[in-house]
Amino acid sequence: MNTASSAPALKIADVVAGYTAGHPVLRGVNLTAQPGRITVILGPNGAGKSTLLRAIAGFLQPETGSIVLGDHQITNLPPHRHMEHGIALLPQGRSTFPELTVAENIELGGWTMRGDRARLRGAVEAMFARYPHLRELRERPAGSLSGGQQRAVEIARLVVCDPKVLLIDEPSVGLSPIVAAQVYRELEALKAEGRTILLVDQDVRAAIKIADYVYVLNSGKNDVEGDRSAFEGDLGVMVRRWLGV
Amino acid sequence: MLDHLAAIISDGILLGLIYAIAGLGLSLVLGIMGIVNVAHSAFIMLGSFFAFELFRRLGVDPIIAFFLALPVFFLLGTIVYRLLLIRVERVSQSQGLVAMFGLMVLIENLSTIAWTTDTRVITASYTNASLVFGSLYIAQVKLIAGVLALVLTFLFWAFLRFTLAGRAIRAMGQNRDAALSVGIDVRKLSAVMFGLGIACAGAAGVALGMIFPFSPNTQVQWLAWAFLVVILGGLGRVANTLIAGLVIGLLQTVCTAFLPFDYVYLVLYVLLAAILVLRREGLTLAVKRAI
Amino acid sequence: MVLSLFFLPSPSDTGTTRLRRLAVWLLVLVALAVYGAFGRQLFLLSTLGTVFLYVVLTQAWNILGGYGGYLNFGMVTFFGVGAYASAVLFQYFELSPFLTAPLAGLVSAVLGLLIGIPTLRIRGAYFALVTMIITFAVQTLVLDLPVTQGALGIYLQPLKLSPLNLERLFYFLFLGCAVIVTVLVYAIEHSNFGWALIAIREDEDAAEIVGVRTVEVKWIANGIAAFIAGVVGGLYAQRIMYIEPTGTFAFDISLNVVLMAVIGGAGTWQGPLIGAPLVLLVADALRVTVTSEVNRAIFSVVVILIALFIPGGVMGVWTRWRRGSKRKPAGAP
Repeated sequence: MNTASSAPALKIADVVAGYTAGHPVLRGVNLTAQPGRITVILGPNGAGKSTLLRAIAGFLQPETGSIVLGDHQITNLPPHRHMEHGIALLPQGRSTFPELTVAENIELGGWTMRGDRARLRGAVEAMFARYPHLRELRERPAGSLSGGQQRAVEIARLVVCDPKVLLIDEPSVGLSPIVAAQVYRELEALKAEGRTILLVDQDVRAAIKIADYVYVLNSGKNDVEGDRSAFEGDLGVMVRRWLGV
Repeated sequence: MLDHLAAIISDGILLGLIYAIAGLGLSLVLGIMGIVNVAHSAFIMLGSFFAFELFRRLGVDPIIAFFLALPVFFLLGTIVYRLLLIRVERVSQSQGLVAMFGLMVLIENLSTIAWTTDTRVITASYTNASLVFGSLYIAQVKLIAGVLALVLTFLFWAFLRFTLAGRAIRAMGQNRDAALSVGIDVRKLSAVMFGLGIACAGAAGVALGMIFPFSPNTQVQWLAWAFLVVILGGLGRVANTLIAGLVIGLLQTVCTAFLPFDYVYLVLYVLLAAILVLRREGLTLAVKRAI
Repeated sequence: MVLSLFFLPSPSDTGTTRLRRLAVWLLVLVALAVYGAFGRQLFLLSTLGTVFLYVVLTQAWNILGGYGGYLNFGMVTFFGVGAYASAVLFQYFELSPFLTAPLAGLVSAVLGLLIGIPTLRIRGAYFALVTMIITFAVQTLVLDLPVTQGALGIYLQPLKLSPLNLERLFYFLFLGCAVIVTVLVYAIEHSNFGWALIAIREDEDAAEIVGVRTVEVKWIANGIAAFIAGVVGGLYAQRIMYIEPTGTFAFDISLNVVLMAVIGGAGTWQGPLIGAPLVLLVADALRVTVTSEVNRAIFSVVVILIALFIPGGVMGVWTRWRRGSKRKPAGAP
């Protein structure tokens, strides 16, 4: 397992990025995700939270700014190379491969380990050991599972490669409160294993509960930031400010 | 009467197997990558000429040419993908379509320059022989071509089902972003998938060339047949494509037996139009654009 | 899509600048008419006649294809049906195609409307492929039906004109048709019908939601295109005086039409005026130096390059140069 010191810090500096040239969604964002900590990004709709994660994960090339993992520049790294550096993205919405089985989904999470089949097999079995309720769903096509079950498959697929840095995009959307709570508990467990977690969320309350540090984005720029304690106060005030009321 | 029926069925099955592999490459590329490879039939024609040249210059039997075609056309497919298809995926559907038709015409014209528009046949030692099962006569070459087609279909099915790379290719078609996130190099695997599609086209061309005469300027008819198989069978699934091919093959032999020859095409085209109208929802969903 | 707004004549386009640009085309028309009346080179008259024929076909295609975004790869179906309609009417009733061409157009239009019912529900590449397949089906039908004489073809009455005057006659006939159809397309472009087509091309679902009657618009556009193609098909039958299924329904003709539209600039009324002569005349010029197959190979490369890198064709380049901006013109398919 990782120790806190082996998980690198993720530093985002002055990132400007967008989907069409001349209309940046991110207009100079700065943040640091400290090693072994859960860093949460909040903000109103359209603030650029998901865009930021996609930029970090390589789906978007920043126009300016830098993204550094530990001492590696990963600003322009294509998405499929991130797993090599130990960064894994849990995308928004449903991201299982619906027509592949649960076992095949998890196995593909270990695609970068395919050179050593024995090791890959072992890692997949480790996931079934870690998430035993997936065992009975092994041979089911992922698309036939419930939302919560698919989310579990996605997490197992995420973790099979033992990534040091996790980018999590709105994990609880579409899940019942009980299942969502399980997801957040699992994130805390993953953090306890020494991973760095960057969490974007709409569920302000749940995210702050597990956060070590919080950044608020607004209109593509940094708004306020601080420790969890700074945000445990009156969330209503903050949300009302976002809504411009 | 029973013999006649048996002949119709056996002919239909063997023909159907050929149709199935003619459509397989097109179906897989369309289903997994969302690309309508209009030039598919042009590659089939190239496959026929590949076997033709190997046969007349080096005396290589078409059966061997069938298997040789696989790596050769795979390589060709990956090159075409990297040179052209990458850009086609980036532009609008209409532009991509015109570009692909341009590719089809280009291949057809280059082939005409190389081989003229003369109709060619491949006459191997077994081309005119028949096998006899009781009172059933089966053309040996059709049986061989049918078996080769079956083997190829099975190889594709097994690859996509049982190998990690095959599953990664299928995953790429089901959720591109998730595939990228787990570290799958979608660009490289896309080239592989397209290469496989063209390999299938080339091999199909060899099998077709064993049975039918061919020439560069009649290749577009195979696009119609392949497209028929794809529409009937659904996209991206080997088993369904096989069944669709068999259905069409049987339909053709049955129609030929009971209707004047040319009406077969009409029946099948009407069938195609009907299916397209009935299944259009499924079709529009299946055409994805790679970003 | 916002892009289509850029296609409106910009406010700075005064009436006089528009007239000036139209004047250029009028001058060309006058020059062509003068040549047609006095020219003596058979080859040039004949080639230009073919150019005008293709202008008509390409403009017809342009309505649904360029403006509407539905790429019909089977224009030759309507053309061939028109040719056969006139030929059959001549064969059985001895009616001259000059008289029956409009009727041939109607036959094609009816066929087009019938074909349109199922096929216009399909989009993109599938539409293109189905229209192509329909050509094969109709060709097969024509080969089989006794009324069309099958592979024997139909001979039409040779006209009592010198070869030169024959070409001159069709030169003016097709030129006249080209002018009429171009005016029609120009009118469509500046009408609500044209707007509806462009909306369909840019985002059909959004257009429907906004209230555009997409089904009717496409259907009518297709019917008009079929009618036009049928009329010139009938005239064409008289021009070559012998038609048979393989040549009359050649897929090449369908492909040529799309090529010319794309190269000239689909979705603009000037596009076919540029594309048709460009493709045909350059092809003819090249034929002197290289074989026709090589020049088609070169053309297919050009088409690929234009489709991928210069989506608006010649008109696209021209519009971009005029506006001095890097935006894609809305006329692009």
